[in-house]
Amino acid sequence: MSEKQSDENAALLRCENLSVCRGAREVVTDVSLELRAGELVALLGPNGAGKSTLLDALAGVLAPAQGRVERAGRVAIALQAPDLARRTVLANVMLALGWWGVPGHEREDRARAALRALGGEHLAQRQAASLSGGERRRVHLARAIAVRPDVLMLDEPFGGLDTETRATLLDDAVGALRSQARATLVVVHDRSEAWALADRLLILIGGRLVAEGTPRDLLERPPSALVARFLGFDGSLQDGGELLLTRPAHVALDPAGPLRARVTRAVALEDGVRLELELDSGRLYTVAPLPAPRPSDTVRVRIDGGARFARSVTDDGAAPSPQPALAPAPTVAPGVAQERRP
Amino acid sequence: MHLLWEELRSAVPLIVHGNPYLLSIVSFTVEVAAIATAAAALIGLPIGLAIGLGRFRGRHALHVLANASLGLPPVLVGLFLFLILVPQGPLGSLHLLITKQAVFIAQTILALPYVVALTAAAIQGLPQGLLSQARVLGAGRRQLATLALREARIGVMAALIAALGSALSEVGAIVIVGGNVYGFDQTLASAALYEANAARYDDAVAIGIVLIALILVLMCAIGVLQQQGAGIRLRFRSAS
Repeated sequence: MSEKQSDENAALLRCENLSVCRGAREVVTDVSLELRAGELVALLGPNGAGKSTLLDALAGVLAPAQGRVERAGRVAIALQAPDLARRTVLANVMLALGWWGVPGHEREDRARAALRALGGEHLAQRQAASLSGGERRRVHLARAIAVRPDVLMLDEPFGGLDTETRATLLDDAVGALRSQARATLVVVHDRSEAWALADRLLILIGGRLVAEGTPRDLLERPPSALVARFLGFDGSLQDGGELLLTRPAHVALDPAGPLRARVTRAVALEDGVRLELELDSGRLYTVAPLPAPRPSDTVRVRIDGGARFARSVTDDGAAPSPQPALAPAPTVAPGVAQERRP
Repeated sequence: MHLLWEELRSAVPLIVHGNPYLLSIVSFTVEVAAIATAAAALIGLPIGLAIGLGRFRGRHALHVLANASLGLPPVLVGLFLFLILVPQGPLGSLHLLITKQAVFIAQTILALPYVVALTAAAIQGLPQGLLSQARVLGAGRRQLATLALREARIGVMAALIAALGSALSEVGAIVIVGGNVYGFDQTLASAALYEANAARYDDAVAIGIVLIALILVLMCAIGVLQQQGAGIRLRFRSAS
């Protein structure tokens, strides 16, 4: 391996057995992780999981209650609130460069370059107070990128935006956030943002790091039922001593399918209908094209994939069974063959 | 009503003819107001900043104290200052009693709570994300203070206006520590009191009118500065 490659893969931030408290409450428990140069890592978790607290501790804003954090460079963090000073956009980015200690003569060029990278150069002379929510987020991101830290941490950079604005900003951010010299950790609340951005996912639930891996690996082989549930495996079937968890994409309506189910709920979506299906051994979800069955219809379904776990889903520590996760699931509830109602 | 009208009519010539006594107290009033406001700003802005930005223990207690000081009775301040400055008092050796300096000190003490309490409130009202972001991006204390003062400039200007108003119009304390000596350490407010006590109501009304005019002129000037600071341009219709 060349020296350059070696540098690119160097760990820029490492924490071991990190626990963080807010007041008397332990919010982050025993987290160990590493961020390497060139990586874009997404930290994903439900509300109140401790994501922002972990970020603050990694950035040195909060002192750990236990464990240690090693930083091999300067860490910049873009906080959740995109609050800007009452100045022009360019002045705001230059102000941040001043805080960071960038010499005065370099600030304007660097500020303009960061705005350009995020598609916000046309905003340079606008007053911050006149910006829309999406534009403020864009400037907030540009401010963090402009300082060129060794480790960049972003706390929900796309929060509070409408779908269209978020998609546009996400497209621009994907290129701008990637740098071979930098490790980037992005806290996201929405799974789609994590898939779009990250090389690696960290999943934090209840203050504990419960999974780590590439988005594809985690989606194909979630390490526990808890993680699977969080990743959208909301369908579940009891199959003997095993539990099969499925995403809507794993379940298809098929007149020749081996399972019979009753539609208990139908929710209209943009491009179909989300169906809740009740079986003797559990409940599944799928998205069906229009025209779709109605509640109380009986249908036949096929399961193509899912994740199997040895114990009950209510057990957070449920371990995956040795069976390949994406193997076609066997007939789960025998003796339920019935015709689909037209 | 008739008496008031008569006194107003008699007061006008005193103002129009530029009575030297009146001019001297106008000049001293402006001097006292400027010095007391500047001194209160020099002392109060750092304290207000510390309360607004700081994360030290007792910050809230300090803010409550500053707020409570807004209701400080001027007479009581004058009395305490008098007891400190009398020859037998702790600062008696400075011989400040019945001097202009004593007047400056008294008005500064009265103006200080306005600067401290209102500056702290203005800074606490700023979006906390901005200040936190500045902290995490490495802003030092001076940079943080500059940012906070600049962002809270409307509130800070309001604090200075309130301090100036207090320095212009408070009378209780300076009468006690300055003695309200005719033509020596009288401000417009204390001179109006002096003339009213002597039953020279036309003079008292004349001084009162000048005081109100002075307050209006100064406050308008600062108001324009405050609006410009907020980025609001006053638009005047120009005759074409």
